[in-house]
Amino acid sequence: MPILLARLPATVLLAAALFLSGPAARAGRSCDTHALTPQTVARGLQLAERTRQALDASGAQVVVLARAGQDLSRFGVRYSHLGFAYRQPDATQPGGSVWRVLHKLNQCGSAEAALYRQGLGDFFLDDLWRFEAAWVVPTPEVQKPLLALLQGGGPGALALHHKPYSIVSYAWSQTYQQSNQWAIETLALAMEPSVGAPGEPVAARRQRAQAWLQFKGYAPAVLTIGPLTRLGGRMTAANVAFDDHPNEKRFADRIETVTVDSVFAWMPRAGLGAAPVRLALP
Amino acid sequence: MKSTKLAAAALVLGLVVGAPARAHGEASAMSAVSALPLASAVVGAGAAASAVAAVPVVLSTAGAVLVVKTVESTARGTVVVLERASDGAQASFELGARAAGAASLAAGTLVTVSVIGAGVVLSAAGEVIAFIPNALGRALLHNERLGG
Repeated sequence: MPILLARLPATVLLAAALFLSGPAARAGRSCDTHALTPQTVARGLQLAERTRQALDASGAQVVVLARAGQDLSRFGVRYSHLGFAYRQPDATQPGGSVWRVLHKLNQCGSAEAALYRQGLGDFFLDDLWRFEAAWVVPTPEVQKPLLALLQGGGPGALALHHKPYSIVSYAWSQTYQQSNQWAIETLALAMEPSVGAPGEPVAARRQRAQAWLQFKGYAPAVLTIGPLTRLGGRMTAANVAFDDHPNEKRFADRIETVTVDSVFAWMPRAGLGAAPVRLALP
Repeated sequence: MKSTKLAAAALVLGLVVGAPARAHGEASAMSAVSALPLASAVVGAGAAASAVAAVPVVLSTAGAVLVVKTVESTARGTVVVLERASDGAQASFELGARAAGAASLAAGTLVTVSVIGAGVVLSAAGEVIAFIPNALGRALLHNERLGG
């Protein structure tokens, strides 16, 4: 009898057996396109435009921008995803500038993710749970190197990017990397360039980035995932893994991962940014 | 062998803990964006069609109901000609080759025009079939994958 499986509660094994017997076991959110309604497009772009106006007025050059893609309130989590929004010169309008968002996206529920540079409209058209944006304006000392990294055409942003993806990746491991984790590790690189020593494997760089985050007092969210939640949960597959979490935490239902809320609490506490700003459509 | 057991345990947990697992990455991110069928207004039709920056009046009157006259595939995508029922005025738009929904358009489909700050939304049966961004909309839209 495998030791690890023996530790699993019988209810979990039963549920797994039931789930595995059906096609839903392969589910997860796929690339199936679903038609948008005119109202969704109108609201998403309205939120993008309001955010653009507010960011313009803020005087910031780069912010940590979040959206609410899913209802996570039962986990005490308000926002689901973040990226860096920053100004860059507008190629179509001399002297003008546009806001772009650089963030990491999981691809169609697969086990991999990639970096994307998108417009604010694209960022907020993505199937929102609430039409609400939130951002933290970093201090000028943070904005300057971060903006340089983001505007640098990609090499800096890609330096700590690790394709293998798990939505609940352990904050202090280098096995997987979820979207919010990429962002704060990249923030570490901007603040401490020695994190990204050339010629080294990404894992070594990420380890140094995580050491910097720990030094700066970052604390990941702790999700308590109990049996009832497990049984009530719907299934995903390829983009979920728990084998990067330390056994003693995993089997105690302690899942420590990088959430928007934990990042927004940390940045002001560490003196890296202002208090979060919220903008919601009525 | 040990790794197999680990993988099995992780798989079991992963499947059962589905709901919280969707929590942070919101795995989905490409789905809706790729479903936004970006279009541009055009003059002419078929292979001779060329994009124009200004949206014709026929396509920018909120609440107008138009009828699909023709749908023609071109090297660049699909050109759709619409006709206003009230006076027969026509206007065309072009969907990119990868835009979703173009395949379902057929002559006779009723199309509703919604005007929003960022452009014009064309919909049929409550679903968006094309979005024609204006300058504001174009500034808000961009999609580029970095690296490998």
